[in-house]
Formats: sequence, C-alpha cells, structure tokens
Amino acid sequence: MKGIAETEKKKSDNNYGLGFDPIDVDPLISEHLYKLENEKIFKKTWLKVARVEEVSEIGGFKVKKLDFANTSAIIVRGKDNQIRAFHNICTHRGNKVIPEEGNETFGKAKANVMTCRFHGWVFDTDGSVRSVPKEEEFESFDKGCYGLKEINCDVWEGFVFINLDQNPSQTLREYLGGMADHFSGYKYGESTYAFTYRTVLNCNWKVALYAFTEGYHVETIHAGTLPGLAQTIVHKDFKLFGPHSTSAVYSKRREGAGIEPTPVTAKLGGMLKESPIHGPKLDELPKSINPEKSDDFQFEFPTIFPNLVKHVCAGFSYPGLSYFTHQFWPMGVGKTVWEGTNYFHKPKNAAEAVAIAHVNALHRNAWLEDTGTMEDTFEAASSGVLDRMPLMTEELMIRNTHAHWHQYVTESE
Amino acid sequence: MNILPTEFSSLSRFVEKWAKPTENLRTEQRISSSKEEFMEFYENTLPLLDGILEYLSRYPLGTLSGSDLCLYHLALSFAEMAPHAELYKGSADVPFSFEASRFVTIHGDEIDS
Repeated sequence: MKGIAETEKKKSDNNYGLGFDPIDVDPLISEHLYKLENEKIFKKTWLKVARVEEVSEIGGFKVKKLDFANTSAIIVRGKDNQIRAFHNICTHRGNKVIPEEGNETFGKAKANVMTCRFHGWVFDTDGSVRSVPKEEEFESFDKGCYGLKEINCDVWEGFVFINLDQNPSQTLREYLGGMADHFSGYKYGESTYAFTYRTVLNCNWKVALYAFTEGYHVETIHAGTLPGLAQTIVHKDFKLFGPHSTSAVYSKRREGAGIEPTPVTAKLGGMLKESPIHGPKLDELPKSINPEKSDDFQFEFPTIFPNLVKHVCAGFSYPGLSYFTHQFWPMGVGKTVWEGTNYFHKPKNAAEAVAIAHVNALHRNAWLEDTGTMEDTFEAASSGVLDRMPLMTEELMIRNTHAHWHQYVTESE
Repeated sequence: MNILPTEFSSLSRFVEKWAKPTENLRTEQRISSSKEEFMEFYENTLPLLDGILEYLSRYPLGTLSGSDLCLYHLALSFAEMAPHAELYKGSADVPFSFEASRFVTIHGDEIDS
C-alpha cells in the first residue's frame, strides 16, 4: 500500500477509506513512539534534502544536518555531474569531513576533493579515498575499503531526496507513486529567487506538520494577515496517494490584487500579477492540478510523507509566488526544526524585487501566525488532558498522514 | 551613500532609520518600531510609491549604486513594513503570532543591491 496509488477513493467511501474517528494524541508526545518513528519512518523513507540549484556547480556541496539520525548528509555534485550523498563522517576515526555551520552548510570541493582536518584523509567527490597520509603505517590496509559511507540519493523534478536505509524497499519514484505524476512537469527550476526561514519549535514534528496541512485554520489564524483569503477560502480536490495526499485551495476572488487589496498590496501585488514572468500561469500547472482551470485557484497543497509540504502556486494566490515548501525535521519528541522557503522567478529590475519583498513579507507573517499555535498544542498534548483529537473534512490530509504513520510504526521488519 | 535621488528628497528624514541594506537589519528596525513611526513612514511614502517603482524599474538588480541603492533599501523596508500599517494597526508584532525574533532568516545578512 505504501507509495502506490490506491484505487481512487472518494469522500462517500467512508471518508476516502479513512473513517471519521478522532486521532490519538500519543504519537505526538511519546518518547517510545518517537524512537520507533525514527527507525521505521525517518531512516526508511525518502526525505527531500536539497534542490539541484543548491549544488549547481561540479564540486558544489550542501551539508544537511539530520539530528534524528545523529548524522549529516553531504550532498555533492561529482565530476561526472552526478549528485551523490554521503555521511559527513570520516571513515578513519569519525571526524566531520566538512566542518558544519548550523543546520545547513554550503561550499565547493576544490579540485573535487574533500579533506578531513583531523588527519588529512582526502576523499574524492565520488566518495572514494584519494589519499591517506602515512598510508604505509597502516598494516594490512586497503584504502579502497574506506570510501565515505554513501547514502542512497535520487532526484525528482530537481528535488534531491535521500534514503538512509542501505537497501530501500522502494525507489524514489515508486515511493512517490501517483504523487510524482500529479506534481511533475512544473518548472520548479525556473524559480530560483528564494527566501528561507527556519526556527526550532518546542513541539513534535507532527504537531507542526499537521498545523500546516489543513485549510480549516485559515479563516481564524490568518484573519490578521490574509483577511481576504480567510473570508473566501475553499479547500477541496483531495486526493490520496498511499501515505502522501494532496488538495487545493481556491478563493472566491475579489477585485484587486490577490490576497488582500490594501493599497500597497494592490500596487505591488498588482505589478507582479500583470507581469508575464511573475503573473498567474494556468498553462504551466501540471494537468491534474486545478483541473477545471479556474481563475479562483490559489495553490495546490500536498503532504509528501513524512515531512515535506510543497505548495504550487504558479503566480496565483500570493502575487508572483511560484511555489513554496515547508519541512519538519525532528530533533527530539518535543523539538523540531521547521524550514519554510518561498520561491519566486528572478526579478527583472529593482521595482519587481521590492514587490517580491512585500509578498514574501506577507507570507512570512502568515507563517508567524501558523507557528504561533504549535508550542501550545504540544504543551496541551503533553498535559494528558486530551487523549484524542476530532478532525473535520478539511483536515483529511492529517488523517491520512496519521493513519500511514501508524502503519509504518507498527509494521514489523 | 545615504542620500536619495532628488525627486524623493522629501523622504530623506526616513533614510537613517529605514534604509537598511539587509533583511536582518530591516527586521530589527521593524520589530522595534512604534505605531507613530510606522504610520509616519507609511503615510509619507505611499503617495510617492508609483514614482519610486517607476524609478527603480530602470535598474536591474546588481546595477544600483549611490542614491539609487539608498532608494532601493528604503523601498524594501517600506514593502516589508507595509502590513504593519495596513493590517496590524501599527503594531510591531504580527498579532497572535510566534515571536518574530525566533525566525532565522537564512539570507538575512546578504546585502541587497
């Protein structure tokens, strides 16, 4: 069932086959279940760790910290133009081959080698050991056996995924299943003007994920920053693809520019809406997204199991916004790194850059509204006062994620 | 250069406070501003916004310098603070939200030019 598009279920089929029961709270707070989900989900499934543009040059690398696995992944483009992933662990005595600065570290391997600063072991960007100082002093030593520990890595639509399992049960394409078909073909690579925000939330990663994967909260939580959308949102087009799910947000559009026609947003957003580069592009959406070609479309809104949310906007909704992502990385049962990135097309002049800065700020402010609930939710869950949470129809993706989470965690080896 | 192009010299008094070259510096300024500061900057700049955009539209990114760059930094600040005047009644915080200072802006120290 995992990753394979199920026969399409409808709402009338007992709520897409998921039923109507409240979900249990224990998976949000249990240390025991946190350890299990680490082993059975985060160390077994495909996780997005980069965009190809982040390692666009030969020798370019990104190091991504993976707290849940006590490791970091080096994602590096080799001389053969292949993107590979390795543990950032020297195979001699375990020092970090690339010194890290925080959560993500970027750089370029000079002459396509990476040198450990501890004893000077030199690794090629294909992972093999190039040289070991005083190699003759190691007895019965074959440096060919000490290449960097490779991590399974594959690319879909320019998104670089890794799988920490040495023998993944599915390829990335199999894992994504119908989700890949649904989202393929959008020109993600053309939207490279990006704004990323990160914070550490004192909550379980699923609390954060769930808060970002339903439309029910928009009317209330976003009444401050997105009053126009809050009053007109329609959340529909639900589709389930195994553990993944998707849906779309529409808005009964008003006069003016998109989200809320305050004077500055009308002016700056309007400028982007009218631009052939930044404006809404119905034709560029994958065919199964916004199938009725409605001008009321705002964005497509999926959960890519376990920890990625990728909204395709194509210039609808937030003026000029091409797509945006959220990701949730567990650091502990009650600690999560959240990352959100807005992707725009490059502005052709400074006026467009000002307009983009405005839209980005509005959206960042909406994220401040979203993240505002998460630590309270986790504290409440931890109190033991609630043992279950009821879900309504627009919270269907939470229901699907939660059901598949249970399936993964209870599945035997 | 902390001087605006002549046609926008009426905004010169806002330069020191608001024309900052990085998003982090602008955020720092924004989250420590008062309602009066937001409204004064907003109300005086809004009538000139069309002219500012027209002016800046002549410059691809990377080609600004001197007073043009100063205007760009002021305009970025205006674009980023406008919701506080238009939607949040002059509040420096987004109402009912997470603490803005806990958001780390990954590109926050890059100089906009």
